[in-house]
Formats: sequence, C-alpha cells, structure tokens
Amino acid sequence: MEGTLWYVLTGTRGGRNRIRILQAIDERPRNAHQLADDLDLDYKTVRHHLDVLLDNDIVDKSGDDYGAVYLPTDRVRANWETVERIFERVE
Amino acid sequence: MSLWLDAASAAATLNVVLLVALVGIWARNYLEFRSKHPLGLLVFGLLLLAENCLSVYYYVIDPQVATLLRSAAPVAGRAMTFVQILELAAILFLAWVTWD
Repeated sequence: MEGTLWYVLTGTRGGRNRIRILQAIDERPRNAHQLADDLDLDYKTVRHHLDVLLDNDIVDKSGDDYGAVYLPTDRVRANWETVERIFERVE
Repeated sequence: MSLWLDAASAAATLNVVLLVALVGIWARNYLEFRSKHPLGLLVFGLLLLAENCLSVYYYVIDPQVATLLRSAAPVAGRAMTFVQILELAAILFLAWVTWD
C-alpha cells in the first residue's frame, strides 16, 4: 500500500490533484460535483482522478453513480502516516 | 538493410521525445515532493535518455559508422534495431501509466 500511495500520488502527472482530492475528502466526504467546485477543477478531471483512486483502493464510494460520496478506504486509513508524510511535502 | 537502419533511427528518435516528456513530469514531481519515488524515476529516465541520445547520434546524425558496421554484420545490426524497438515499447507503456 505504501508503494502504491507514493506512486499514485507523487509518481504521475496527475498526482498533485489527486493529493488535493484526498485532502478534501479526508476533511469531509464529498461527491464529484462538490470536489470539482471546491477544488476549482474540471468535473471530468475529478471523475478521472476518482477512478484512478478507486482502482488503487485509495478511495471508496458510497451511494450510486450520480451524487455518490467519496471517502478514504479503511486500507488508506491504516496507512495514514504515509499519506500525511505525502501531504507534508506539498505545503 | 537501410529499412532496418530507418526503423532503428525512428525508434531512437521517438524514445528521445517520449523520455524528454517523462523526465519533465518526473522532475517537476521530484521538485514538488522531494520524495524518492519520483527521484528514482527521474534518474532512470535521465540515464535512458542519455543512452537514446547516443543512439540518435549514431543512427540519425552521423550514421556512417552504423552503416559500415551493419553491412559487416547485418544480423547484429538487426538485433540492435530490435533492441531499440523493445525499448520504445517499454517507454510507451511507462508513458501510458505516468500520463494518468
């Protein structure tokens, strides 16, 4: 999991925005529209990043497609020190 | 013979273009995060870029030696083209996952 987090959040082109999404949903679970508004990102960009995060078991969604709310997975919660170390680098 | 040399030239050139883009992404991420993951990718990318710049020089810019060696040992020349194309496939794959 640690390696996945470093790779998905710091090794790819979209890492920076995925970190912002993870920070936002850690603060408060949100749906894709809210994330797009709150982070001032394109809706499609947010959907793409959420799909990557879902694929890598970093976020979960609760509810059905439209309006589904995203939140960090238990697996990420268990590795939260790594996530915080990554967050610190972005300050 | 010249077809094999052309294929190697094209693959080496594409490799340089792709690697410049990838090294750009990894360098930006390293500068931002200062973590070892993008650093490892950056160092790997730079070394592979150096190798491919050498190939571009050897195949495209000054192909005299390559032509001479390839006519002396055509099988070795084809093998080198094959190596270049395998590298292109590897880099394309890496570009696909990094572009995300």
